[in-house]
Amino acid sequence: MRLRINGKPADLEATVLIDVMRHYGLLDQLVVAEIDGRIIDRTDWEMMPLVEEMRIELVHFVGGG
Amino acid sequence: MALDGTDATVQDPLVIGGKTLTSRFFLGTGRYPNPYVQNEAIRISEAEVLTFAIRRINLDEPEDDAILHHLDFKPFTYLPNTSGASTAEEAVRIARMARASGLSDWIKVEISANERTLLPDPLETLRATEILASEGFTVLPYTSDDPILCKRLEEAGAAAVMPGGAPIGTGLGILNPYNLGLIVEEAKVPIIVDAGLGSAADVAQAMELGADGVLMNTPVAKAVDPVQMAYAMKLAIEAGRLSYLAGRIPKRKYATASSGYDEWKVKG
Repeated sequence: MRLRINGKPADLEATVLIDVMRHYGLLDQLVVAEIDGRIIDRTDWEMMPLVEEMRIELVHFVGGG
Repeated sequence: MALDGTDATVQDPLVIGGKTLTSRFFLGTGRYPNPYVQNEAIRISEAEVLTFAIRRINLDEPEDDAILHHLDFKPFTYLPNTSGASTAEEAVRIARMARASGLSDWIKVEISANERTLLPDPLETLRATEILASEGFTVLPYTSDDPILCKRLEEAGAAAVMPGGAPIGTGLGILNPYNLGLIVEEAKVPIIVDAGLGSAADVAQAMELGADGVLMNTPVAKAVDPVQMAYAMKLAIEAGRLSYLAGRIPKRKYATASSGYDEWKVKG
């Protein structure tokens, strides 16, 4: 599946959003996901189907003031 | 007011968005030398509100810098910021992402218009504050030290307003104490001085001007000894607050003797 994740092209084995999380080892981390500008709740990751060229944002908390 | 430090803070709490805080110190989590020093600084500061930023995960090294891995968990109030945003729309997007984490519905609106000064864009900040307050966020906008603007932010639904003392990370202190004094006088919500402070003297000054709290990151994290500085800042906040409540003497041009009893002076 060709996707665009955090602004970069990514080609990986995935059919639903949780596959992307598993691929990057993010399942047990505090991650927020957005697809094409819409936030996808963690509880919906398993059911969220992916299609080619979807734009996925994966964000987390970092140090800041 | 009891003189015991603990009593003083318990009897004089700060309430923001319905939450009662015993510490008036909001501490940032960026730029510490390492997680151990950061945790020690947080502990000794007794800060209850911690700020964070939201960033894209580096998918080449997803383990690297997720800040919450390193924190000793205790019931902090998390205040994510919208740094990186240059428009109200970008700030709203980041705020929604932050809330979706389930960690907090507090948000520090931070919208910078200029890379060199990182000064906040007042119009975009006001717009984002209106939108986020209407969506039920507890909104704490970082803003310019303009009294009218601060009032407008309050009217737009800000739970607290956070004027900067000076540009972020400069350590220049409070560049316009007159304005800050006016902001405090007019405010019906807490005023937190955010950004630009450098030392304990700046912090005490902010609190003596009537600020309800201070938010700092760089002056603690980049101090030679961040843990010691965190403690110094905590004491300065308490000292400044008590000094404000106690009511300082008016300034005078000429001396007044501290002994009195002028007619009883020993002479001739």
